[in-house]
Amino acid sequence: MLFPTLAFGVFFLIVYFTAWSLDRENGKRKLFLLLASWFFYAQWDWRFVGLLIGSAILNWGVAALIARDRERRGVGPGEKGGNGWLVALGATANLLILGFFKYYGFFVQEAGELLARFGWERDLPLLQIVLPVGISFFTFQGVSYVVDVHRGKTPPAKSLLDVMLLMSFFPHLVAGPIVRASDLLPQFDRTPRLTREMATHGLLLIVWGLFKKTVIASELSTHLVDPVFFDPTAFGALDIAAAVYGYAVQIYCDFSAYSDMAIGLAALLGYSFPRNFDQPYRAASMQSFWRRWHISLSSWLRDYLYVPLGGGRRGLLASCINVFITMVLGGLWHGAALTFLAWGALHGGVQVIERLGRAVFRRPEGAEERRSVLLTVVGVLVTFHIVCLGWILFRAESFDLALQVLEGLGRAGPAVMLTPLLLALIVGGLAMHWLPPRAIEGMAERLKGAPSITLGLLIGAAILLVEAVRPEGVAPFIYFQF
Amino acid sequence: MTNYRDEPPIPLEPFPTVRGDSPFPPLAESVAPPAAAEPDPPSDWIERADAHDLPTRENALVALGRFAFPPAPPLDEEGVAARDRRWTSRTVMVAAVFLLVFNAVSPLNWSRQQPPGWVPETVRQLSEVWVARLAVFGVDMPRQGVREGWDAARRARFVGQTQDSGTAADGSTAAAEP
Repeated sequence: MLFPTLAFGVFFLIVYFTAWSLDRENGKRKLFLLLASWFFYAQWDWRFVGLLIGSAILNWGVAALIARDRERRGVGPGEKGGNGWLVALGATANLLILGFFKYYGFFVQEAGELLARFGWERDLPLLQIVLPVGISFFTFQGVSYVVDVHRGKTPPAKSLLDVMLLMSFFPHLVAGPIVRASDLLPQFDRTPRLTREMATHGLLLIVWGLFKKTVIASELSTHLVDPVFFDPTAFGALDIAAAVYGYAVQIYCDFSAYSDMAIGLAALLGYSFPRNFDQPYRAASMQSFWRRWHISLSSWLRDYLYVPLGGGRRGLLASCINVFITMVLGGLWHGAALTFLAWGALHGGVQVIERLGRAVFRRPEGAEERRSVLLTVVGVLVTFHIVCLGWILFRAESFDLALQVLEGLGRAGPAVMLTPLLLALIVGGLAMHWLPPRAIEGMAERLKGAPSITLGLLIGAAILLVEAVRPEGVAPFIYFQF
Repeated sequence: MTNYRDEPPIPLEPFPTVRGDSPFPPLAESVAPPAAAEPDPPSDWIERADAHDLPTRENALVALGRFAFPPAPPLDEEGVAARDRRWTSRTVMVAAVFLLVFNAVSPLNWSRQQPPGWVPETVRQLSEVWVARLAVFGVDMPRQGVREGWDAARRARFVGQTQDSGTAADGSTAAAEP
């Protein structure tokens, strides 16, 4: 059940009205939301609801053991402490689940090829494993919950129901954002309040997300990116360049649309999710890009991978190695393929160069931080094109295909696929990064005072516009596969 | 008093003349002192008077309205939350009804994309009637108009580009020769 479908619309209306009719009984409300989330997840494959339940029980149990151990040792709230083995147990169990479903086939295949090179050909047990939708997201959420309880950043959940809802809550279940326990568990303690500002913001985010996904991303994907990346040798430089830029816009509009809709849906149910995108193509450096792109993942990688590796505490060299390892593993998180590893390595490598550059050209102490407009523009352009280079690796199904795309950028030829409409969508998709940074919030602030009929008509008209131009059916979100 | 020295003195005051302390506070303390009389307005008050400070005469109908429909007392936090929820629900319902009328073809399209079954078939039959009845009033025109505009934009080509290249209006892609 995808967000931009009629079935989901009907499902959400039922959930919305039922959930608010239970506003005086928070426990029953949470139970209802949990059952609705399981129903939502079961639309993909009901068997994996069991995995979701098992994962939640595992994390709840480990966190409870950690909390009891901390209490026994007298570790106060906010302090890090307790048995490290329990945390390791919880994190390992989560990663084993993720590893089995996501990476088993990849590693067995790679190991088989490696053995064959040394003349040890073996029939390794290959399994056709179906990847549960959103497993990376709820597994990362489980890890963060266990580690945060150990670090004293969040108290253990008051009930198993809270942990289950934390991991299964349908707006963020299949493609994030990765909502931390410290963000969501306190909101589960009492029936949430819905304010006009929250509701208006949520409705606008849903409409904006619908537009980005079903109009921009779908149109670019169907009519430009997919055909060009299917056979790059059939197209000239103009089409291939347009497809690369088009994919940059498509993946942004696709993924940020899901996040926007997830945040909006949660807001209509009274819950607040953190922002996940912040105009990423405005970034003037790769470090800045990762502070704006998939913020919930980049902050997760920082807190649970980069910092435990040592972060920047052991000097420049160690920090460069740590950031490189973090980005490579971040690439591997996106998918079990060498192209994703290369994508992570590219991002990690550029960040290492940036760090070294900053260390070499460091300003003297007390010097005023001033950056010229020209340098910023150059930084934005360079960063954007490095990101686009990464997207070629990200989108191509193999290295060979990625190389064909790169070769095609030097091949002259007429624009066959690129049309004025597609060009306008690419330019528009990039131009939206230069809107005021909090444009939706500002609009919500203005509209929250409007009568409900006026706002309802405006929202209805906006959805009608989107519905009129969208193609029949809708492709799954790109990040579902991760 | 008496003229006889030997006579015992007549107690002049048979009852105790010294009263004990009253359990009550003195009267003067429990009574507020009289307020000081307001001084007379300065003789030049009319020169310093601001017209906005003067009492205005309320419209009789407004006064009657307030009497007939007195304003509700201010809402507490719970009341504000309930009011905002109702406002949101009305907004959602208005948008849903608007789409049910002006985007009536959407359930029909959905039902046609589903595998055969009782629910899709029921939705299809109901939607067909609904779409046909609404088309009489022309409510499908806005959607159609936008769609036609979008298709025209899709068909547009750069100067020198052939119409066959790129994408067709139905979404199919024409294979390009290298």
